[in-house]
Amino acid sequence: MSAFLREYLTVAIFTGVAFGLLAGVLSVGKLIRPVRPQAEKYFNYESGVDAVGTGWVQSPIRYYVFALLFVMFDVEAVFIFPWATQLEIYGWFGAVEMGIFIVLLALGLLYAWRKGVLRWT
Amino acid sequence: MLLNEFLFLAAALFALGVYGVISRRNGVMVLMSIELILNSVNINLVAFGAMNGNLTGQVFALFIIAVAAAEVGVGLAIVLAIFRNRRSVDLDEVDLMKG
Amino acid sequence: MLAALAPVLAFARPAIDWHALAPEIILTATICIVLLVDVSTSERNRWATSSIAGIGMLAALIPILTLAVKGGPRIMFGGAYVVDDFALVLKALFLVAGYVTLLLSTNEIAEGDFWEGEYYLLVLSSVFGMTVMASARDLITIFIALEMLSIPAYLLAGWRKREVKGNEAGMKYYLMGVFATAVMLYGMSLIYGGTNSTVLAEIGRQIHGSFGKEPVAALGIVFVLVGFAFKVSAVPFHNWAPDTYEGAPIPITAFLSVASKAAGFVAILQLVFLAFLGRGDVIRPLMWILAALTMTVGNLIALRQTNIVRLFAYSSVAQAGFMLAPLAVVGSSASTTREVLQAVVGYLLIYTVVNLGAFAVIIAVGRKTKSGEISSFGGLFEYAPGLAVAMGAFLFALAGIPPLVGWFAKFQVFKALVSQGGASGITMAVVVGVNSVIALYYYANIARTMFMDAPPDGDRTPIRVPVPLLAAMGMAAAATLVVGFIPGVVAHLAEHATFALGG
Repeated sequence: MSAFLREYLTVAIFTGVAFGLLAGVLSVGKLIRPVRPQAEKYFNYESGVDAVGTGWVQSPIRYYVFALLFVMFDVEAVFIFPWATQLEIYGWFGAVEMGIFIVLLALGLLYAWRKGVLRWT
Repeated sequence: MLLNEFLFLAAALFALGVYGVISRRNGVMVLMSIELILNSVNINLVAFGAMNGNLTGQVFALFIIAVAAAEVGVGLAIVLAIFRNRRSVDLDEVDLMKG
Repeated sequence: MLAALAPVLAFARPAIDWHALAPEIILTATICIVLLVDVSTSERNRWATSSIAGIGMLAALIPILTLAVKGGPRIMFGGAYVVDDFALVLKALFLVAGYVTLLLSTNEIAEGDFWEGEYYLLVLSSVFGMTVMASARDLITIFIALEMLSIPAYLLAGWRKREVKGNEAGMKYYLMGVFATAVMLYGMSLIYGGTNSTVLAEIGRQIHGSFGKEPVAALGIVFVLVGFAFKVSAVPFHNWAPDTYEGAPIPITAFLSVASKAAGFVAILQLVFLAFLGRGDVIRPLMWILAALTMTVGNLIALRQTNIVRLFAYSSVAQAGFMLAPLAVVGSSASTTREVLQAVVGYLLIYTVVNLGAFAVIIAVGRKTKSGEISSFGGLFEYAPGLAVAMGAFLFALAGIPPLVGWFAKFQVFKALVSQGGASGITMAVVVGVNSVIALYYYANIARTMFMDAPPDGDRTPIRVPVPLLAAMGMAAAATLVVGFIPGVVAHLAEHATFALGG
């Protein structure tokens, strides 16, 4: 086998292991788990109480928008922390940079506010 | 050094994520599988960064986390639009166009 | 940003070259202004956002011109961001393509049931990501640029959000794009682990050195390139393209098939030429197979399409194959490598202009016929001779018939392939030749429908083309004809679009 093909062998082995792992995990699960179907097992579990209604309960779509906004701003804070720990060292340059960053983020919030996303009605 | 263990964990997560993307039919589950791949990348980057003793890997991981949040936001919005139009997030049903 | 995050004890303020960053700064300012206008005016004044976006893109071209006149590569942030001739040529291409997309969109978006302000905001953001991509010489910067240009594009693809087809277009594009990005990132993490650097120049040195010999280097390279193969819709990663192109608003289809694809190629070129060239033995066979598959499969499926947008989707898949073809001989010798870069950049420039022109005609005709079928172009020559002739010109340019501009693009591809002189280059050239003939068949078929057939519904009222659309078409047509006779213009640009090495 040429050196060149051996390089591609790595790719092939990697692919093989990836698929093998999945097949292995799934079939082991299939082999060792007991299969005893009972009607009760197909009930929705609700802390021991009998389930009321269907499993498909809708939560208001507003939660989604708020959750999303929260996640976005939460994650952006990750860029502010490293700057905050070394505040003095970065001096005015860092302050201006971070100011620009926060203004751009605030524009996003302004957009959400003006489009009426923040109103809970 | 524990590097190999981290790399194996990341490779396993990556493989699971790829499997999930290919086999899952629920839009939300596919999004979660993609998150799995991204997290395997983060583990890789942080482990390599610790091994090499520089911070670039961690910085890269931070950027991936931030961007992934934006990405998933967009993905959920698209799944939501599909749900509003057809009351289902099953991706097998999203096959109007073919050929 | 990067330097500001590292906990250094003595912080040295990074030197910022304001002139070199001016295009990006202007675009950012335009994005902020469009957003502010959008939130502060009433619904009927939203058309202003379109004009502001257009002015912003044209304004961003000015510093690119002054930078080109001054010359010389400008290297910033430890080599992570470089403004060299390659970056300038492609930034100009992205801005022009973005501006033409705005021209194509203006009427379509204003007349339909669309959100206007956000639309232009997202197009601007995507173009901004592309201009960053042209300068990105660092894995992190490439990733940020890729996401910056892709995330708005996912939303734009699903812009017809009340239609199931629009949802489907957005969903497929999104899933494929995000999956490809994730795979690419995994490759990047392996390369970072081996080289301990994210700067392409340093990675290039290491891959030429000892790291390049390790198997994990090959794995990383293949993963990264496969990730970008999705972006440029290379077979077998092309499945999203036809459905996304059909379901998206047509101006966005034009934008995706041109600008987004070009951005993918820019990233591939930067990665291959600056970082991965030391492993040409891995890249060449991969690119050979991708290019041959992409051309052949794209063309064969295009043959049996009846919908014009789907036909262009598959033809754009095939065109991506033509652009990948020269990479099959990259790195076999220094002169070949130079020819390959020229061929791909030249092809990108030409394809962008011609394809945008073709889409302008499709939009203009679609405004009247309200149909996407090829048969709806029947008799176009009778009632709209101007449109028919323009479309004919674009089609034959795409097919590569002299004296229209496309022949030069194909010629450069052949030149690069033959210059290697080996068997793989020659066989690739043969594949390119055969595929050019297949492509000619379906392009000529549309032309035949336009010139020979009768209008399917007998409606011969002339088409009124709105001014912005006419401007876009005129620009593309002029470029198609003029550059076809004087290919030196593109050759000159492509020749100068070289990387500043050693950054």
